[in-house]
Amino acid sequence: MATISDSRSGGLARSVVNYDEPPVKSPPLLAVGPLAWVRRNLFHSWFDTILTLVSAVVIISVLSSFVAWAIGQANWAVVTFNMRLLMLGRFPVDAEWRVALLTAIGAFAVGMSLAVWLRVSRTIVLIVTLSLAFIFISASLITAYVPQSPSYVAAGNNEIVYSASNETPQAQLGFIAKAGETVSVRMADQYAANDPSLSGVYGFSDKAAALLANAAANRLDTAARIESFKAQLSSDLLTTGQRARLNTQLAKLEVPPAITETYTLNQTPIKIRILRGTTLEALATGTLTTGAPAIKVTLPADGWYVLEKIPADSEAKGAALLEVGGISPILERSFTVSGDLDAGGNITATSRVSQYIRVTDNFTTQEIRPAPDDKNVPMAILIDNAYRGNHTFPDFLRLFVAPFFDVIKVPLLIILIATVIGYISADLIDRFAPPSQKKQRTSRRVVTWLLIAFPVIMFGLVYGVGNVLPLTDTRRWGGLLLTIMLTVVAIIASFPLGVALALGRRSDLPVISVASTIYIEIIRGVPLITVLFMAQLLLPLVNPSLAEMPNVFRAMIAITLFNAAYLAENVRGGLQAIPYGQQEAAKALGLNSWQITMNITLPQALRVIFPALVGMVISLFKDTSLVTIVGLLDLTGTAQNIVTQTEFLGLRRETLLFITLLYFGISYVIAGVSRRIETSGAGATLLARKI
Amino acid sequence: MIDQQQTSPSNGEPMIICRQINKWFGEFHVLRDVSVEVAPQEVVVVIGPSGSGKSTFIRCINRLEEHQEGTIIVDGIELGNDLRNIAAIRREIGMVFQQFNLFPHKTVLENITLAPMKVRHTSRDKAEAKAKELLARVGIPEQADKYPGQLSGGQQQRVAIARALAMEPKIMLFDEPTSALDPEMIKEVLDVMKELARSGMTMLVVTHEMSFAREVADRILFFDQGRIVEQGTPQYFFEEAQHPRTKLFLSQIL
Repeated sequence: MATISDSRSGGLARSVVNYDEPPVKSPPLLAVGPLAWVRRNLFHSWFDTILTLVSAVVIISVLSSFVAWAIGQANWAVVTFNMRLLMLGRFPVDAEWRVALLTAIGAFAVGMSLAVWLRVSRTIVLIVTLSLAFIFISASLITAYVPQSPSYVAAGNNEIVYSASNETPQAQLGFIAKAGETVSVRMADQYAANDPSLSGVYGFSDKAAALLANAAANRLDTAARIESFKAQLSSDLLTTGQRARLNTQLAKLEVPPAITETYTLNQTPIKIRILRGTTLEALATGTLTTGAPAIKVTLPADGWYVLEKIPADSEAKGAALLEVGGISPILERSFTVSGDLDAGGNITATSRVSQYIRVTDNFTTQEIRPAPDDKNVPMAILIDNAYRGNHTFPDFLRLFVAPFFDVIKVPLLIILIATVIGYISADLIDRFAPPSQKKQRTSRRVVTWLLIAFPVIMFGLVYGVGNVLPLTDTRRWGGLLLTIMLTVVAIIASFPLGVALALGRRSDLPVISVASTIYIEIIRGVPLITVLFMAQLLLPLVNPSLAEMPNVFRAMIAITLFNAAYLAENVRGGLQAIPYGQQEAAKALGLNSWQITMNITLPQALRVIFPALVGMVISLFKDTSLVTIVGLLDLTGTAQNIVTQTEFLGLRRETLLFITLLYFGISYVIAGVSRRIETSGAGATLLARKI
Repeated sequence: MIDQQQTSPSNGEPMIICRQINKWFGEFHVLRDVSVEVAPQEVVVVIGPSGSGKSTFIRCINRLEEHQEGTIIVDGIELGNDLRNIAAIRREIGMVFQQFNLFPHKTVLENITLAPMKVRHTSRDKAEAKAKELLARVGIPEQADKYPGQLSGGQQQRVAIARALAMEPKIMLFDEPTSALDPEMIKEVLDVMKELARSGMTMLVVTHEMSFAREVADRILFFDQGRIVEQGTPQYFFEEAQHPRTKLFLSQIL
């Protein structure tokens, strides 16, 4: 290639012809590839390098302490156990299939949309399938191969005292188990030798066992403090005042006698009986002494069992620490079944049912709790049998990961299958149905209609339809279901209202324009909470019949009215961004103003504001959490409610983290889909031109 | 190939009659006593310096701008405040803009079929057949399914012409159709316009393309400061123009 340049250096114009062809070379090694990226972006200058290193240290330290907490200390059982509550609230159990059906329809629609618009890549299909397979396989692998760590219970006649607490070991302990499981009991000799080993008990322990271990730990701690005080006193660096203070403190400290010796731990033989809960017949009996082999029994049926552990000699003083395999803490859940509203709006006959659920794997029984001597047997309830110490990684897997996977795997499978069916049926529809008049793919029309109809289907399924589906009690809507219902209804309802307000504000008729402007400005000047309260408190004053409207619907109306004002301003901005030439061209073609709005300006305006609209959907999705304040239990409200229950006190962090992930995940998916839409289709060229 | 049905008023009356049009933008007097008659099948080119009111003048003819005094009669229909008259006149007049003003969210085919389907209630099949015919006529039949943003400026302007023709207008207005185009694309648009003129379309063209005016125009109007300073055949205009303002203008551009 020859280039001709006109060089004017030195005031002389002359033509230069260059016939040289420099060879094409590959770039230097450090100019391309990942290494170059690292150098250019992370270590470009000494300042960059310092920033990179400092950020790395901060990120790593934060992450590592978070992971240590998440594995060692966090109790994720609160999430697994309350999954249904978080997802559906107290939605009637016998109407649960409606939500399942709704989810399947939704997934089907998503599958069809993917087929029609986005064409999933093979990598994504592979990743999703593999993740689901991983969830299924690892759930069963963990259950099969990671042994569950044993529980520790104390036995004996001695009252165990530590600090302000005291506890006499219980004679009986009720637990639930499945048929075929094995329960084994032996003396926990590995912990009984001395206090250092006793203080290291980790695993589910009953109150008395935990007291023993805590007392031992405290004794060791006291001894260590005395040693450190003595070391300080022996140095010459202290002032007289400091020395006096240390001496006073030292005088208050006293090392109690060794705990193992105080309670003659594991010296007393313990008589063990394992009873069937219903009949109280003994399945196994035996006496345990130090070093004796474990007493084992394989359980015949699902349900309640009782572990009886009393000293062989009822007069003997002393305590024993038993290691029990096969017992896990239980949660009790009682709930109402058949609480729907009948046609007259009254709650139909209800009955309360108590369920007992094993924390570790959600095994559930409704068998009645055994009551020998007419007294309910003390059960291995979670509050009294908390996990002592940090979870080991296998325990983390076994206690939290496997149960969590077990809870989510079937719903996820249903969703995946419905999505795949949707994806395939889009192709099938195109194969067998002739193309429509508009020469569009038939599947495109089908899925568009499905998406348009979805909110209606959703409302119909969840709320009920006249005589076909019984109405559900809106007070029992909750969790993620309520959050999504509020979001979808508010978005759908506020859309036409917002567009109408935007057109109204731009209208040439002063009455309409002023009315729209006043509405928009008033609503935009008021916080959402206020609007929610107004819907709750002021609406009934306007018209008493509104007081009977369910709380949920009033919240929906409030959010809709609120959102419409913001949407109107967005739409107006979009309309202003459309060049006036578009209207002129349409006018010149003879279109009337209604046709121009519907065919020319509005579609383009909506395209322009699409990113802003998605932002609105996402913020609305999060803002619905404000309905907690007017007494609705959406996802956030449910989470707040859960952590006020006795069993889950102190588990706020776990619960909030989970709903945070849920909120984030859903928002991220919405944002991701919108990015795909923005960069594809007719709007892409429009947006590209605008930018 | 040329099938534009020309139905001129039976009594041989002009297609467009403008009498004593006056228009103000606020205090500014844009059009001053403009009177023109355009005969059926006549090609009238409007030239003049910028700000002389030539664009405003042709935009008054299809009521994109409202004139405040005077009478405009198009194809026997008087242009007033009667919305039905405005709609009727707009159906008769096609317009092509400097900035193309294609609808960017619709494909080329949809751009062309929109107005016939919405305004004339033509069936989709007929409208699409007509649109394809027109695209072939402007020389870009293969671009039907693209979006305007994917086309070059010249192609976009040709689509705009096809879009205007789809309404089967009796009159075409061109408002500086080649001013926004790269030089190498001007010719393809002018060629389409020439073909259109030869087919017998009544045309009113605001342009700076003097060669086009010389070759195609039946009459040239020269605007300055809101009035018609001089008019005549191309030959007269380019060779024998009398008015000093015209002479000055021609001396600057030729």
